[in-house]
Order: sequence, then C-alpha cells, then structure tokens
Amino acid sequence: MQPREKSHSHPGMTLKEKEKYIENFRFPFCDDSVKYEKVAKIGQGTFGEVFKAKEKTNPKKLVAMKKVLMENEKEGFPITALREIRILQRLKHENVVMLIEICHKRACQQNKCLSTFYLVFEFCEHDLAGLLSNVNVKFNLGEIKKVMQQLLNGLYYIHSNKILHRDMKAANVLITKNGVLKLADFGLARAFSANKNGQPNRFTNRVVTLWYRPPELLLGERNYGPPVDLWGAGCIMAEMWTRSPIMQGNTEQQQLTLISQLCGSITPAVWPGVEHLELYKQMDLPQQQKRKVKDRLKPYLKDAYACDLLDKLLVLDPSKRADADTALNHDFFWTDPMPCDLGKMLAQHSQSMFEFLAPPRRSRPHHTMANQRPTTSAIQDGGYQDRVF
Amino acid sequence: MPCWYYDKKELRNTPSSLDNIDYETEMRYRKEGARFIMDTAFKMDLGCNTKATGAVYFHRFYMFHSFRQFPRYVTACCCLFLAGKVEETPKKCRDIINTARGLLSDAKFSTFGEDPKEEVMTLERILLQTIKFDLQVEHPYRYLLRYAKCLVGDESKLEKMVQMAWTFVNDSLCTTLSLQWEPEIIAVALLYLAGKLSQFEVVDWVGRTNKHLRWWDMFVEDVTLDLLEDICHQVLDLYSQPVAEAPPDSPPLSPKLLLAAPSSSKTNGQEKEKVETPKIKPPATTVAPTLPEIPSYPYPPAFSTTSHAGTYLPQYANPTVAPPHIAAPPPGPPPPHMPAPPAVLYPPYVGPPPHYPPVVPPAPFYQPTPAAPPHRPFYPPPN
Ligand SMILES: Nc1ncnc2c1ncn2[C@@H]1O[C@H](COP(=O)(O)OP(=O)(O)OP(=O)(O)O)[C@@H](O)[C@H]1O
Ligand SMILES: [Mg+2]
Repeated sequence: MQPREKSHSHPGMTLKEKEKYIENFRFPFCDDSVKYEKVAKIGQGTFGEVFKAKEKTNPKKLVAMKKVLMENEKEGFPITALREIRILQRLKHENVVMLIEICHKRACQQNKCLSTFYLVFEFCEHDLAGLLSNVNVKFNLGEIKKVMQQLLNGLYYIHSNKILHRDMKAANVLITKNGVLKLADFGLARAFSANKNGQPNRFTNRVVTLWYRPPELLLGERNYGPPVDLWGAGCIMAEMWTRSPIMQGNTEQQQLTLISQLCGSITPAVWPGVEHLELYKQMDLPQQQKRKVKDRLKPYLKDAYACDLLDKLLVLDPSKRADADTALNHDFFWTDPMPCDLGKMLAQHSQSMFEFLAPPRRSRPHHTMANQRPTTSAIQDGGYQDRVF
Repeated sequence: MPCWYYDKKELRNTPSSLDNIDYETEMRYRKEGARFIMDTAFKMDLGCNTKATGAVYFHRFYMFHSFRQFPRYVTACCCLFLAGKVEETPKKCRDIINTARGLLSDAKFSTFGEDPKEEVMTLERILLQTIKFDLQVEHPYRYLLRYAKCLVGDESKLEKMVQMAWTFVNDSLCTTLSLQWEPEIIAVALLYLAGKLSQFEVVDWVGRTNKHLRWWDMFVEDVTLDLLEDICHQVLDLYSQPVAEAPPDSPPLSPKLLLAAPSSSKTNGQEKEKVETPKIKPPATTVAPTLPEIPSYPYPPAFSTTSHAGTYLPQYANPTVAPPHIAAPPPGPPPPHMPAPPAVLYPPYVGPPPHYPPVVPPAPFYQPTPAAPPHRPFYPPPN
C-alpha cells in the first residue's frame, strides 16, 4: 500500500504527523507527568498501578498517581476512568479523596507512541486494610468511632450529591497520618437519581467486592441505591474489631449463605418483595436461620451501642437499612467515649500501611489479584518512615 | 477548571484564523461539524445531552487547534465518541465510524485516513488533553424546561413555545454560543425568541416579585434585551445563510482565501448594529434547505406546568409541521418580533456585555451541594 494519499482538499495530518504534533503541542491545561518523581509502588488495582510520588520542584508535596491502563482498551480512554474523573471533579469534601489533576506522559519509544495518563491524588499515608492487618495498630473505642463517623460523613456527602460508591471495602478507605479518613477508588462509582416517573434503574449488579456485597445485589437487584454502600460500611465497621472481613465467601452462593447465617434467613417476611428479585428462586437460601448479628459480634465489639448500630447497618432489607444520616445520629457517636482523634495513635507508627504491602490477612476475595506480598508491611523508601511527628 | 467562555474578539482570533482560515469559513466548519454530530447522534439514537456535549467539546477543541490540522468530521466523530462515554450512552467507535461513513461523501470520509478507528482513538487523547478532562458540560435544555414551568399563560401556546425554543437550542449548537454564554442565559434568550415568534407574551410568572421587570430577571441577573437579541440573532443567522453560496468543502486553499488576512475583527460594536437593523433575510429560494430540520430531531420533553421536566408526552413525539415562523419567515422589513427595547427601562447599551453575568439561583448540578454533615446535638448518655 502506498502511504495514505492526502485527500485533494484536506490537509489534515497523517497519524505519524499527529503523534508528532501531540508531542510538540503544549497543552495549556494538562501537565506532563515528569513534574512528579515516583517513590514507590503502593497499589495494584484492576485498572492500573498506584504509585507514591513527589513533586520535583516541591519534594514535600506527596501525591498518589494512579495509572490509567490503556493498553488493552478497544474503546479508547476507559469509561471507568472517565467516570472516576467526572465524579471526583464534582465531589469536594474532607472525607473524599481529592483529585489534584490528570497528568500525561508523553509518547516515547518505549511505550510505542502510546501516551499514558495518570490520575494524581493527594497522598494519604495509609489505607484501612493496611492498618487493620498490622497487629501493632490498636484502635480504642473512641478512635473506632472517629473512623466510622468520618466514613459515614463521606457517604452522607456523596449520597446527597447523588453518587453511589459501589466499592466499599477497607482497602478503598484511606487515612492520612493526621487521622483524616478519605473515601477513595471511585472506579465503580456512578450517579443515580431518585427514579422519577416510576421508571426503575437498570444498573449492573456486578459491583462491589464479593465480601462486601449486599444481599440485594447478590439476588440480582438492578434498581438499587445508597443502601448498598451502607452494607459495606457495616462490614467495615465490624472489621474494625474483628480485624478481618467478616464474611469471606468464595462464590456468590456462599456469600449469601454466610449472610443468612449471620443476619438470619432471607424471607419475604423480613424483607417484603425479596421474592420478586431475579435470582431469589435460583439461589439456595438457607431457611430457619436466626439473626445472630449481635450475638456473634458482641464478643468482639463489647460496646452495646456499637452492636446496636451494626445491627441497623447489616439489615437484609435495603429499605430498612440505616442510611448515613440515621447512622450518624446513632447513640454510638454521642455517648462516652466520644469519637476521638486518630492523630495521636497514628503518630506511633512511622511507616505507611497499605493493603498492597501488607501480609495477607486471610484468603483474598477471589477476584482481587493474588499478590505475592513482601514480608514487610511498609514502604522502605526512606520517605515516610524517617519523618518524626 | 479552565474558563471556557470567550469574547467576540477571541472568537475571531482562533488557531484557524491564524492558520489563514477566514472567519466565515471557520463558522461554516463549526456549523457543519456540529450539525454532523447531531445527525450522527440522531441516527444512533443518542439523546440530546450526548449530542450537545459532543458539540461543545467540538467547539472547545477548535479554540486550541486549527481546522486545517484537524479535519472537522474526524474531530466530530471523536467528540461524539467521548460524549457517549461521558453521558453514559457509550457507542462503539466502529459503529460511530460506520454511521459517519453513511452520512458523508467519499471525499469527506477520506479525511478519516486508512485506519479510521485508529485516527479517532489517537485524536481522543488529544481531545482529552485539550479540554483538560473537563468532561461535565451543562446544556440549556434543563434550564429551558425549568424556566418555562414558571411561566403563566395559555397551556397549548406555552407548549408550542417551549418546543420552538427547544429546536432553537438544538440549532444553537451549530453556533459558538456555547463558547460565549452560560447555558442559563442561552435558555432565557431562546425562550424569549420563541415567545416572540409564537406570539406568546409573557405577562405573568410564578414567583414574580416587584423587583422583576422581566420574567427572566427571576433566573438570571443583569441580562439586557440587547444581549438577548444578540444571542437570538446568532441563532437566526443560521437560517439565513444561503447554501448555494457555500464555498467548496475544505479549508481554503485558493489564492484568494489564502491572502485573506485573519479577518478584520469587528469589535463588539457590531451587536449594536445588529440590534438596530435586525436582518432576517427574506427567503431566497436557496435558503429553504438550511432551515432548521425540525422533524429530524427528537422533540423536547413536552412541557406542562405541573409535570416534572423529563416526562415525554407522546403527542409531541412526531412533529409533522414546522413551526410557522420557519415555513414562512416574515418577508421584507424588519420582523415585528424584535421590538426596540423600551427606552426608559434600560440604560443604553454601551460596550461589550459583561462577560460573566452572575447567574442567580440555580447552582449548576455539578457543583456539589455544600457539605452539611448531619449533626445531632450532644446529650448525656443514658444511665
Ligand atoms: N491517594 C492515595 N494515597 C495513598 N494511597 C492510595 C491513594 N489512592 C490509592 N491508594 C492505594 O492504592 C490502592 C489502589 O487504589 P484504588 O483502589 O484507587 O485503585 P483500583 O485500581 O481501583 O483498585 P481496585 O479496583 O482493585 O480496588 C488503594 O487500596 C490504596 O492502598
Ligand atoms: Mg481499590
């Protein structure tokens, strides 16, 4: 074939020329990623790697860079990344991770002219999964309350902005060294609207890591809403004491069984309408199970208010599950010991703790990557661990 | 976030104009590109927000790049491709290209090169960086419906007016209005225009107070009649551009056009001119085909004073007649629908309109509602 004949009248560029053009064009709004220097890899997600990095001109400024995987995308820039960007641009809250910018790495020989994009976030020193897997990190009751209060505040904010997170789990909850909690990973998030005109939503129910997936999703509900995130919040809350995920199913069926064993049988009596869900008849739902949320978790939680709040979060029927507002008003947060700052406790630990770097807490949910974990539970990068504060 | 609004001078000083494409030609390219986005979107059953978002990306893109470097139809496809993903109505790149192929002549389609899909994919990366990943775009449609709901009057007349305004909003995507004014203001202006043309005089509206001289004062601040008329004329001008005179189909290469200096930019004085001598050309025989293609676009959600915006009433789904003003534009003298502004009410129009008239009530929905964490007052624990 001849090189593409330039059409008689259109002097547009060839692909090659275009690549060159991008290389030389200074986009006024999209910075080059060379302004950051990678320090360490801190995460490996479904969509790409996450690095800790520092700004070259201002090495005190730490960021987390999440690479947008483009290699095997048939449909260009991934829609999941577009969603995450769009949603984070519109959410600004102390308890939601801040997206600083999107950077671009110029095309070069190595990546075969494929330019790479990075989402650049404010850096948080820990994620909750990393903290919980470290036995030396001990939360007292006031500190647990603070974690949960911030988590619910974040949920309250995103839900009132009509966003569902859809991937609540400890690894997606970040905590700064000062003890500020940030919801992260909006890769599965989406906007929802209160369905007007009686038109039900048709969302995908293949969201949320299995262990944190609420019963309505497991039963095929597509018209779901904020309660899906509150189920996850309940699972995380219990984990603050148990230190590992409370229901670790290997299959959707097994997850439903575990849920029934903890929360009681899934029946139309406790959850009117459940019989109409798509998978209700297909799944094997254990009968005659008593609800044992309080009984089984009391040995861990001890505190009666904590048990009661958890009991209101881990409710089978999503319409009866506590919402973020109700949960925040629960006595748990308004009785002694009151929520108390995490800064002091975290100051005893000078190393970053991330799930990616931690030894496995137990088996992993089947669709998360099985990673070989380093023996250390911290980044040995000479950065965070040297700091005294 | 970057500022996406430009004044008229900036709109005449674009990369294309620096690249020796004269202003009229650039406007035509913009119009054709945007129209093509709408046609492709319509063929693919994409909704009004997707096509509008695509068109806005398109106009923004050419504030940074020249039409000579980036042929408009490829860019248009790319903008629609991205808009589809952003608006949660994704279409396969291949399907968009195939639809485009069906709508374009072979000569035009040749700008897609040997590997059209790769062409669009490469361009997507340029597009994303150019628009700074500022993906969320607001459009006049929702404001149109919201404002119309407040107007009081004969229901059927109101409905007609809203539908007409909806069509104008569609067509406004072919202009650079989205680069000049916020969607709220465009909505007010085109509702105003539709009111004039459908002889619906708004005399009362819900929420009226003494402070409001005009119905739109309730929604936008400091919007003068002059400004509204300027916006209306930018849309009306679309219908008065004769097709027959359209120059050939490419960036200008002819010596004549190459010599043309970046067009002598008229300053803002021109709006004044325009308002004084509104010129809707009488329908030359060649004009008719470019008139708004009303039947080919999905109609607005029917308007009613009580129902929620967004409900589609079937009876308006298949418009058969073009609104009267389009079938027969007023011949001859300045049309009656553009009265001179009442002399006393407004100070004479001086200089360019304020660039960013503060928009009063409705905060754009992408602005998060301020965080108001629920708080329960502390009370002592039960004993
Ligand atoms: N801003 C940040 N500061 C510190 N660490 C971060 C930050 N963002 C992400 N991480 C770390 O990287 C990990 C993966 O990030 P994230 O969850 O956003 O990616 P992902 O690819 O969507 O992962 P997955 O979908 O598998 O949950 C997080 O669990 C966390 O440990
Ligand atoms: Mg994650």
